[in-house]
Amino acid sequence: MTPLVQLRGVSKDFRGVMAISEVNFEIRPGEIHAILGENGAGKSTLMKVLAGVYQPSSGEMLLDGQPATLKSPSDALSHGIAMVFQETNLVPSMSVAQNIYLGDEKLFNRLRGLNIQAQRYLLSLNFYVDPTVQVSFLGAGKKQLVEIARAVHHNARLIIFDEPTATLTPEEKFHFFNLARRLKEEGMAIIFISHALEEALQLADRITVMRDAKVVVTDETSKFDRDRIVQAMVGRSLSGELYSDQARVPRPMGRKILSVENLSMGNTVRNTSFSVFAGQVTGLFGLVGAGRTETMKIVAGVLKRDYFHGGTVRFEDRPVRYRTPRPAVRDGIVYVTEDRKIEGFFETMTIAGNIQLGDLAKGDNLLTPTTPRQGRDLAVEWTKRLGVRAIDADARVIELSGGNQQKVVLAKALVQKPKLVILDEPTRGVDVGTIVEIHNFINDLADSGMAVVVISSYLPEIIALSDRILVARQGRIVEEMDVAEATESRIMYAAVH
Amino acid sequence: MGKVRLSQEGVVFALAVALFAVFAVLLNNFLTAGNLIALVRSVSILGILGLGMGLVVIGRGIDLAMIATMVVTLSWVLSMAQAGTPFDTALAYGFLLAVAIGLASGILIAYADIPAIFTTLAMGLVIYGSGRAFLFQIDVQNTPSGVAWFDFLGRGLLFGLPMPIAAFAVLAALIALMLMRTRFGRFVYAAGDNPLAARITGVPLRPLIVLQYVVSSLIAFLAGIVMAAAVSGMSTRVYNSTMIYDVLLVVVLGGISLSGGRGGVRNVLVGTLLVGVLLNGMTILDITYTTQNLIKSLILLLAIMVDSFINPRDEQTSQQSQGDI
Ligand SMILES: Nc1ncnc2c1ncn2[C@@H]1O[C@H](COP(=O)(O)OP(=O)(O)OP(=O)(O)O)[C@@H](O)[C@H]1O
Ligand SMILES: [Mg+2]
Repeated sequence: MTPLVQLRGVSKDFRGVMAISEVNFEIRPGEIHAILGENGAGKSTLMKVLAGVYQPSSGEMLLDGQPATLKSPSDALSHGIAMVFQETNLVPSMSVAQNIYLGDEKLFNRLRGLNIQAQRYLLSLNFYVDPTVQVSFLGAGKKQLVEIARAVHHNARLIIFDEPTATLTPEEKFHFFNLARRLKEEGMAIIFISHALEEALQLADRITVMRDAKVVVTDETSKFDRDRIVQAMVGRSLSGELYSDQARVPRPMGRKILSVENLSMGNTVRNTSFSVFAGQVTGLFGLVGAGRTETMKIVAGVLKRDYFHGGTVRFEDRPVRYRTPRPAVRDGIVYVTEDRKIEGFFETMTIAGNIQLGDLAKGDNLLTPTTPRQGRDLAVEWTKRLGVRAIDADARVIELSGGNQQKVVLAKALVQKPKLVILDEPTRGVDVGTIVEIHNFINDLADSGMAVVVISSYLPEIIALSDRILVARQGRIVEEMDVAEATESRIMYAAVH
Repeated sequence: MGKVRLSQEGVVFALAVALFAVFAVLLNNFLTAGNLIALVRSVSILGILGLGMGLVVIGRGIDLAMIATMVVTLSWVLSMAQAGTPFDTALAYGFLLAVAIGLASGILIAYADIPAIFTTLAMGLVIYGSGRAFLFQIDVQNTPSGVAWFDFLGRGLLFGLPMPIAAFAVLAALIALMLMRTRFGRFVYAAGDNPLAARITGVPLRPLIVLQYVVSSLIAFLAGIVMAAAVSGMSTRVYNSTMIYDVLLVVVLGGISLSGGRGGVRNVLVGTLLVGVLLNGMTILDITYTTQNLIKSLILLLAIMVDSFINPRDEQTSQQSQGDI
């Protein structure tokens, strides 16, 4: 069987530094192929080469056995290769139907006709999405369905997903898996990048592991287990470090630093009350839509006050009501977003520029002199502490790999020396090795007396990190427990019922 | 993308120098002392205005009221001086008016969330209209005589440099220092790059926006002082000219992206040079105003197109190339 796409000795460099180097890679028709590797290993770059976003600096590419070059993503699409980026490419202000047919609409298209056509088409794929709904109202899972529908509509034979499951709820993940299998049965080839090794083991036919810009190994999934993958990814074994079952001694509660009473906002936060204590990690678990992010954003002043409908927030025994994040930051409450691309970092700035901004934003006097030197010193310190990797020190944050961007966002928040730090999905898009580092780091923060709130949808992460666990459901905290008395089933029960 | 932008300044600079050389060789009126002084004068004023506009554009805004501010504040100041108010007092009033205009635009933009382009467009009309109605009556205001520093600002030399250009240089250095080396400057870049991230990081976003428009208003006032000193008066004709587009041309051609967060004083300098030489050359060539405007507008359109191609503002398009996480 000729491979659908084949790369021979393909390299791509940025300013002379190899992002992928001498890569040999092939994708067969109708296979599901997982790409694994640490942050910055070159996974996304490799996929973008396949999808025509980047042109390789050397090496050759074969499509159906014939040499070919892909000049652009639309060129790739015309060859049957579609890519679904993690941050979607849909136009948020348009309807689902308009998005699916984007690019091939006739000059005067009757909206009704378009909607009916889309409805039929979506049903034929067994997708239950309303074609008239505006895309910005859809959750991550539905958006992904629309992207897939668009790709299938353009006769894609290969769909590439960059971290498709990172923003999905467990249920949506399950749907995604089924869908991937169904597409495969129809002869579609699928590549997906993931940091969740179980997903690769569960779903993929073959697995490719990348490290330091090279492909380390490609093999049938049955030849892999967790340890072999990790070994290939990081060059050493990590077993036992992550989500280990060993009993931890929970840190005792420090002083009560935050207490929230009867907080309400529209129908996303309903009359919720809870407290957070210094010197420990408070895990906030809940299903998507449980109002965890919204609650914490009100606490940190991120959500505008127009939506603030009542309740009291006390920080360090003082009632506070922040209308913007600035006073909260200055008082010592820092919120680290789950949506780094939209509200996380400054893309035109370097790592140093971003981190320095965190430092500057705490201060007051607008005319205080600053020097690039201060930024560089901070960057040196924090890139070392968090292990940020970039091709060089001048790299702009937009040029970093996803996981490394996350670390920069974290550093930018932590230079503000918060007393209470709220980490919303801190390890999203972060590789297994780095998750261990970030977890250790979070533990150090709590040990140093900081109050840390971790919002996570991943139960093992909550259990591994937290000293106290809060469970949210439908806009309020419904249960609170010590980690010693917590079990997965108990937490899950509280979150669902 | 770093490379592209770095060389953009280089390209613009080279273009300006080449144009200068061509005009110098081809036009025998170009290299005369009289013309060079006229060139320097117009370049200085354009450049000063460009500094203000550049600052606001870096912060993802735009100030289309600058020319109106310049004309109205100075016309008022001069007419007060003509009527016997001490010049310094009149200037103080002008200063306060400029601050008030900046505050008004800034507050509307920052707190009422009205797009900057409409706010300042309307603000320009309002200021000019009320200026004509309440503050001064005649079209051309003359400068008071006997104010030594003012005459010096118009015609004096500083280390051999005509004063207007010296004023431009000093202001450019100040703004560069402010942008690169103060907390305010870093905040402006942050707000221009990603306002949401700036807000969440604790940048006082709204006060910052207001401040930007106050600064650009004050810079317009300053440009007005230099202009009045250089040409011994202020005329409402300036308001009716296409000068605001020249200022925009300076900023965009120089490479300050309308999508915010990118560019700096260097870009204003090269942009000023190119636009200044171009305008002056066209005037000597005796190209009609209509044709000049057509040429300028085409260049502006082209520059904006190039800018939106290199620095897409729309998140959707930018993700085509930077898609992943
Ligand atoms: N446009 C770019 N300009 C400069 N360097 C880049 C660019 N894109 C990627 N890189 C660099 O290439 C390397 C590989 O990046 P890539 O995005 O492929 O990593 P990745 O494996 O997808 O990582 P992650 O798991 O964190 O998403 C990184 O060091 C990154 O900084
Ligand atoms: Mg990636």
